[in-house]
Amino acid sequence: MNLLKYRIKTLFKYKDLIVELVVRDLKLKYRRSFLGYAWTILQPLFLMLVLTIVFTNLLGKGIENYPVYLLSGRLMYDFFKVSTTSAMKSVTGNASLLRKVYVPKYIFTLSKVTSCMVDTVLSFGALFIVMVITGAKFYPTLLLIPVVVIQIYIFCCGLGFFLAQLNVFFRDMEHIYGALTTALFYLTPIIYTIDRLPLKIQLVIKAFNPLYYYVGQFRDIVYYGNLPGPRIFWGGWLIAFLMLTIGVWAFQRSKDRFILYI
Amino acid sequence: MSKTVINVDHLTIQFNLANEKVDNLKEYTIKLVKHQLMFQEFLALQDVSFQVKKGEAWGLVGPNGCGKSTLLKAVSGILQPYKGTVKVDGKIAPLIELGAGFDADLTARENIYLNGLVLGHSKKFMEEHFDEIVEFAELQDFLDSPLKNFSSGMKARLGFAVATVVNPDILIVDEVLEVGDMRFRRRCNERMQQMLSGGTTLLYVSHNIDSVKALCDKALWLDHGKMRMIGDAQEVCDAYKEDQDELTRKRKAERRARLREQGTKYDYLVVGAGLFGAVFAREMTKAGNRCLVIDKRSHIGGNVYTEDVDGIQVHRYGAHIFHTSDEKVWKYVNRYADFNHYINSPVAVYKDELYNLPFNMNTFSRLWGLKKPQEVKDRIAEQIAQLDITEPKNLEEQALSLVGPDVYEKLVKGYTEKQWGRDCKELPAFIIRRLPLRFTYDNNYFNDRFQGIPMGGYTKLVEKILENIDVMTDTDFFVYRKEHPDMFDRVMYTGMIDEYFDFCYGHLEYRSVRFETERVEESNYQGNAVVNYTEREIPYTRVIEHKHFEPEAEQENPKDFSIISREYSAEWQPGMEPYYPVNDEKNNALYERYRELADKEDNVIFGGRLGAYRYYDMDKVIAAALELAQNERLKFGRKKRKK
Repeated sequence: MNLLKYRIKTLFKYKDLIVELVVRDLKLKYRRSFLGYAWTILQPLFLMLVLTIVFTNLLGKGIENYPVYLLSGRLMYDFFKVSTTSAMKSVTGNASLLRKVYVPKYIFTLSKVTSCMVDTVLSFGALFIVMVITGAKFYPTLLLIPVVVIQIYIFCCGLGFFLAQLNVFFRDMEHIYGALTTALFYLTPIIYTIDRLPLKIQLVIKAFNPLYYYVGQFRDIVYYGNLPGPRIFWGGWLIAFLMLTIGVWAFQRSKDRFILYI
Repeated sequence: MSKTVINVDHLTIQFNLANEKVDNLKEYTIKLVKHQLMFQEFLALQDVSFQVKKGEAWGLVGPNGCGKSTLLKAVSGILQPYKGTVKVDGKIAPLIELGAGFDADLTARENIYLNGLVLGHSKKFMEEHFDEIVEFAELQDFLDSPLKNFSSGMKARLGFAVATVVNPDILIVDEVLEVGDMRFRRRCNERMQQMLSGGTTLLYVSHNIDSVKALCDKALWLDHGKMRMIGDAQEVCDAYKEDQDELTRKRKAERRARLREQGTKYDYLVVGAGLFGAVFAREMTKAGNRCLVIDKRSHIGGNVYTEDVDGIQVHRYGAHIFHTSDEKVWKYVNRYADFNHYINSPVAVYKDELYNLPFNMNTFSRLWGLKKPQEVKDRIAEQIAQLDITEPKNLEEQALSLVGPDVYEKLVKGYTEKQWGRDCKELPAFIIRRLPLRFTYDNNYFNDRFQGIPMGGYTKLVEKILENIDVMTDTDFFVYRKEHPDMFDRVMYTGMIDEYFDFCYGHLEYRSVRFETERVEESNYQGNAVVNYTEREIPYTRVIEHKHFEPEAEQENPKDFSIISREYSAEWQPGMEPYYPVNDEKNNALYERYRELADKEDNVIFGGRLGAYRYYDMDKVIAAALELAQNERLKFGRKKRKK
């Protein structure tokens, strides 16, 4: 119990640092680019445009307002991919600092996921623009967006911790993970609807693909205007905390040995 | 007693050697299969224990890679112990690398905040102290430029300012102050001193032993991760330095031995291991040349050779007192030996009377009972006037016209006649140009700024100058040259120039001296190092009592005997030990002819008292050798060290 208190105290002590690191990431991301923060919105817009043009006739048949369908899934996936990938590199990337000053190492992982979250929330602007243009309905369920974002944030933190510590000892992870996330993109109903798949595969995805839960919930409240079903809602929370527990445990177990490998 | 703030107890830290890092799948699998994983372990620190009390300043010394930085990191909490514990009580400011955590793309302003937060301060704290930091770093004008445009010195300034903004309980400094300009370093030192006097505990790592000595009161010497010595900073630093010097010596000696074994050619063959040869060889070695010094005597040192006789340094070839006004030379010799404060103040014995030398107010008051300088001047002028000498015809008349009959009869006449072996009336007047008279009560024989005797003797001094240079004694140049004509490129010859050319134009002449050295069973024979005997009837000119040159050695180890040398003038004949070149017209002309031959000699340079046929004081010998070495280097360039 004391240990927990101590941990919370140090987290509190370094809260300003987390804020500063998040601010730094956001500041540096578009510093010196001409359009600046507008890119946060422009980028997903362009991507959506490309995907829509390519896939509308291929996979989008029978999907009403395909651009919104696609973008709502894509935003969740992007957050997942970018945040966990940068979290994975957060310890190794700050090696020079960690070798010289004592800073709790999870701070860097946490700040990476957090700054990605802020970035994602900003890019929701793109979604709303597309919704307006395509004349989509704005459902009251949109107010539930934070609930889903918190779930996936917790999940990504957990996975981020796990990957960050693994990457210290095993640098191949960066490459392997790139392949895994690409596979996951196609195994998640982002550009297609899940009922297009054979039943067996549907079951596998529903059982083992965590992203299915978050994309599903997000789409429910944004695209369909439904409350998410209890299975994916509670399942989402469960997976998030399960991943967090695994990630924190793995990180704690090996954090003292980082310094010898970075 | 103040409390312990850092307690390191049996600390061991283990590393996985970097070159054995396994970070990809293929290697990992191979190693896993071969059971080689984590086998390349390396103990950066082994069983280190020490306690630091509040307010103490500790220095960590040791060669590169001995674990100093590792220890600092363990104390800062960056590294976790493998075994043992580290307990720290208080707030640490680590200056392990200034500006760790700076982001090159952010501006100075943003970096100040970021860096402060990394060090564990709150945003509020940083806002309060922001101006203070900027002021110390003196970067007001650059606050909003990105850090990548900063010089490393500017970054260091910023880093130091941020790291020391808080008054920490423990300050950890790891060679960070080596960058930055002089003024900044001074200000950093001031700040550190200020913190120390405010009760901050310091852990300091630097390769600069002097700064460790200046800042710290305790020190820990690490060697290959183990504690070698712990205790008083002065003692530990001295022991460490001694050890490092010893290592260097050993390495150089090994290299020399290797080259000797391979029969590698020498760049310089230096003939004569006296002061001139030694200094020349040292300077050329410094410039990367390989030198061999040979001497036909069985010892080094040439005429400054001192022989240790039961703890007394005996000046075998006459008394040598080092005196100079050349600061460069003084500093040079002091690098190789510690000099005492010996001041030469000889006394002269005439019959049963005793006078101070050189001729000064002590001498005159003893002579005439006069006290005031003006009275003495009047007396001498009066005596000279009575003589009525206008054109001195010989040395006697010359001396008389300079000092008057009283001084001449008692102190000049007999001594000069013994020195030259002839009556003063038969000697030419030009031998004495002037006889300096001093109208103060000052017995110091020399007028130079610096004076002294190297403690432990001149041989030790020359030995030190020749350290790590190949030396062969009992080796005659002409024999060596015949047997090993291909062993050297150039020759520095400090022997007799006429002998080099086989006396083809005849012998150059020298004035010689003979010594009768004797052990007397008396702890103090004459109470002074140099006593001149000015009567004609006593056959020797002076008696040297060697122990008085080094009173501190006698004080430390009193002896109930003494060594004295009686000095006789001797007519020089070929084959005798040459001492003073006789620079009269005839000999100088002869020397010039040899000089012409010498100039035609390729790859041989002549120098020193015998090589240049010139009388030199020791300081002039050294100055001449330094100059010649400098010319050689200019002429032939600094030699690249051959591996």
